[in-house]
Amino acid sequence: MSTTTTPSQAYKQSPWRRQMQVIGAFMLVLVIVATIAGLYLSISGRAAAAGRRIQELEMQATTLNLEINNLRTRLAQVSSSHALNERISDLNMRILDPHTTIYLEVPGYSPDIRKGSGNQPAPVTAPKAKLLPEYTSSLWDWLREKIWTVSPQPSIIDEVTP
Amino acid sequence: MNAQNGHGRILTICILATLIAVAICVQFIRIQNMDVAQQILDDSKAYQGVTRLVYPNRGNIYDAKGRLLAGNETTYEVGLDLNAILNGQEETIASAVSEILGMDYDKVLAYAMIEPGNGNPFYIQLDGFVSPDKILEFEALIEEYKNMELGRNQVRPRLNGLMWTAHNKRSYPEGTTGSNILGFYKYLDRTQGMGYFGVEETYNTLLAGTPQMVYTAFDPQKLSMLDEIPAGADIELTFNREIQAMAEQELDEAIEWSGAKGGTILIYNPKNGEIIAMANTPRLDPNEYWNYGELFPNPEPFNPTISKTYEPGSVFKAITVAIALDTGAIEMDTVYSDDGAYEIGGVEIRNWDYGAYGDVDMTDCMRWSLNTCLAWMAEEIGPDNFYRYLKAFGFDRNTGIDLGGETHWPLKLPGDSNWYEIDLATNAFGQGISVTPIQMAMTVGALANEGKMYVPHVVKAVIIDGRRYEVEPVLAGTPVSAETARQVTAMLTETLMDESYENAYIDGYTFAGKTGTGQIPTEYGYTNPLTNASFVGWGPSEDPQVVIYVWMQEPTRDIWGSQIAAPIFSKVVEKLVVLMDIPPDSIRLMNQPDRQVMEAGE
Repeated sequence: MSTTTTPSQAYKQSPWRRQMQVIGAFMLVLVIVATIAGLYLSISGRAAAAGRRIQELEMQATTLNLEINNLRTRLAQVSSSHALNERISDLNMRILDPHTTIYLEVPGYSPDIRKGSGNQPAPVTAPKAKLLPEYTSSLWDWLREKIWTVSPQPSIIDEVTP
Repeated sequence: MNAQNGHGRILTICILATLIAVAICVQFIRIQNMDVAQQILDDSKAYQGVTRLVYPNRGNIYDAKGRLLAGNETTYEVGLDLNAILNGQEETIASAVSEILGMDYDKVLAYAMIEPGNGNPFYIQLDGFVSPDKILEFEALIEEYKNMELGRNQVRPRLNGLMWTAHNKRSYPEGTTGSNILGFYKYLDRTQGMGYFGVEETYNTLLAGTPQMVYTAFDPQKLSMLDEIPAGADIELTFNREIQAMAEQELDEAIEWSGAKGGTILIYNPKNGEIIAMANTPRLDPNEYWNYGELFPNPEPFNPTISKTYEPGSVFKAITVAIALDTGAIEMDTVYSDDGAYEIGGVEIRNWDYGAYGDVDMTDCMRWSLNTCLAWMAEEIGPDNFYRYLKAFGFDRNTGIDLGGETHWPLKLPGDSNWYEIDLATNAFGQGISVTPIQMAMTVGALANEGKMYVPHVVKAVIIDGRRYEVEPVLAGTPVSAETARQVTAMLTETLMDESYENAYIDGYTFAGKTGTGQIPTEYGYTNPLTNASFVGWGPSEDPQVVIYVWMQEPTRDIWGSQIAAPIFSKVVEKLVVLMDIPPDSIRLMNQPDRQVMEAGE
């Protein structure tokens, strides 16, 4: 009944301990993979939600542009020369007669000053806006940029609308 | 033995599983390398997203004060999404559409009953331009159906499948005002629409912008913000809406009063060539451009001011006298002895009233509009000089105005087979030569602006992507000296103060001007009893800010320009000075430094 132990057996870990180590290593890998997968899922979910939001905002922007154009035209219609002339007639007003006009001299006033300040049409095109890279790059892109880039440079974003 | 069997089964299953896996992998590889693989890949793109051509908003057109003349308003396309129509609701849709849009019930019902797919469409457009009011009616109807109280076994009516999409429609808030300048945009053609006539045609490319292909992915992860599609350029015109409307109103009244066939009132800034107003008849409402054919039967031009030539008559004498003064053929105090006739090339020229006026100076020649005097003047100038000057004034070419459809009459020159010696004399008083109103306004602009003549233009500035680019005036030439221009202005200011010009008189203001009565040639000569009555005036004389050209075609009330065109000119100026804030001479000249110094000295 005596047991003999070889030197190699003496240094060998017990089977249950090796089992535990394998299971531990497997669990570690599993946790890492699960973490990465969870992170990826979370980022993907947020990116998808942001994508949908962009789509909604773009549709909203299109609708608003149409509405702005429409309102601008409606305003022009109700203040057209025909409409104003009708209102002038309704109010019993008449066009100024040059012979009954009284001119007052305003010292220092020059008609040229007024000429330069006519109602100019406002710019109609809004400045271009670009989407932040956070909303467009994948986790993979992010990892590549942040970890694998040897000397990471801060990304330059031009013309970003806050 | 049992253990061995077990191991054998496991091994078999493993081998089978491996074979299946290998077979799947092989199949993967095979499919990816098949001939149809690329086609499958291409087909799959249709399910990944949609590519569409996005047309930018057409640019707006404004007047000189920034008021909208051409813009875009919202309209709707109404159609049927055949997949979304609920069974048994086809009649509900047909009923709603026929009631609100006025479409034929049976036709809509037939559309709604179509089974989508298998060669049938999935979507049918019912109407491309439905007003927002009608859409509100549809929405109210949907709400009504939603809140409807139903009895047992009653089915709730629904409009599922009836859909509408908003889009732009070209709109002209001022209606007919300035329509000959604006032209029109054929908005009913939503993909191939383009501008016709006027600014809409000349600047079509700028106004339209650049359509862009845009891809939108269905996968939200692949969604990206669309690039901003720049709208078409906005255009700011030189003309003032109020002045244009006033000129058109005066023209309409004048046509009714004079019994004329048509007419033009043109107001031009001689200092930079800007068109302040250009009133014509007939005028098309560009919102209903489909009436074009009815309103402008061929060959009636859309804008007679730039496209219709006619013999101007005596207004042309202003040009002849300027040439004579500039060449030194005459002085202001040169005397011409008029015996009522002047012979040239074997033909006798007579005055308009067949009268003889005796010894007259050059101002009197213009005052009485003596054909004999002008015929003599042309001979003094000589044909070479005379036609060289006419070319310098631009009578042999288009003015270059930035509107489509400009034309000019080919100038007959000495040496041409159709030029005769008599033409020198008759051309001098505006006969045998044809012009467009815009040509006359530009050339007279040289007399009003120290001899400098500017190319007429209607576009003041172009606004692209928020940046405003001003159009610089273009000098068309300096046909006469500043001294000559001042002399002609002084001469025609003096004549306008004469009693014979009382119809053109403007109380409180001094203007220079000249009447014109142009006979209308027929194939048998000048046999038409009707005339073209015209008047050209510019002022205020000491610093002209406007050239006003009035042309009435074939008036029946009277044939003379002094009786028809002159009073119209006077009425236009009376209103124009108010709209342009030009005070009367008594106020304006008092504020001039020379006058102030003189009064202080006194």
